[in-house]
Amino acid sequence: MGLGFVVGIIGGFLIAHAAFSTIQYRGELKIMEEQFTGPPFNVVIELLVGLGLCLWAGLAVPTKFLSILPHSDENRVVSLPANLDLWFSTTEGRCFHPIQI
Amino acid sequence: MATQDKRSDTSDFPEIINTDNLQSNMKSIYYSRTFLSIIGGVIAGIWGFTGFTGFVFYFVVMLAASFGLAAKAKFSADSYFDSWNRVLLDGILGGLMSFVLFWTFAYDIVHIF
Repeated sequence: MGLGFVVGIIGGFLIAHAAFSTIQYRGELKIMEEQFTGPPFNVVIELLVGLGLCLWAGLAVPTKFLSILPHSDENRVVSLPANLDLWFSTTEGRCFHPIQI
Repeated sequence: MATQDKRSDTSDFPEIINTDNLQSNMKSIYYSRTFLSIIGGVIAGIWGFTGFTGFVFYFVVMLAASFGLAAKAKFSADSYFDSWNRVLLDGILGGLMSFVLFWTFAYDIVHIF
C-alpha cells in the first residue's frame, strides 16, 4: 500500500507538470497568435504515463478483495455438522463487565 | 461474522456469503472508481477535450478500471462478489459527475484563466 501511495503521488506530480507545461505552451501560442489544437507530444506522453501510474495506484491502494465464500481460508469458522445454524463468533465468551466476587 | 442466506434457484441448499467482506470489496471498488474519475477528469481538462470526446475518454478510463478491477479479483469475481456486474459496471455512472466536475475545473484553469 505504501508503494501504491508513492506511485500515485508521482503520477499526480507528472499530471501537475503536464498542466504547467500546457499553460506555458498556450502562453507561447497567444504570443504567436496561433490556435490551440492540442498539447505538445511530450506533454501527451506525460499525461498518459501519469494516468497509468494513477490507474495502478487507484487499484492498489484500496484494500485488497476479501473472499465472500464461507469455506475459504479467510472465513474459516467452526461449525457443528449436525446443526449448521450454530456459528462460533470471536466475540462470544468475552466478558465486558468484571465479575464481582 | 455477518452472513446472509441467498437462495439459489438451482440448489435446495442456501448459498451463504460473507456480507461484511462483500461490503468491504464494494467500498474498495467505489474508492478506486471515484479516484480514477477525478484523475480522468483532470487529464481530460488538461488535454483540452471538449464535448463528446471527453465522455468517450471517461468511458475509456472506466474500461481500463474495470479490467484492472477484474485482474485484482484474479478474474474470478464469484469469489469476491455476488455478480460480475459489481466489478464491471458498479460506480461508473456515479463517477461521471466527479469526472465532469474536475474536467471543467481543469479545463478552466489550464485553457481559460
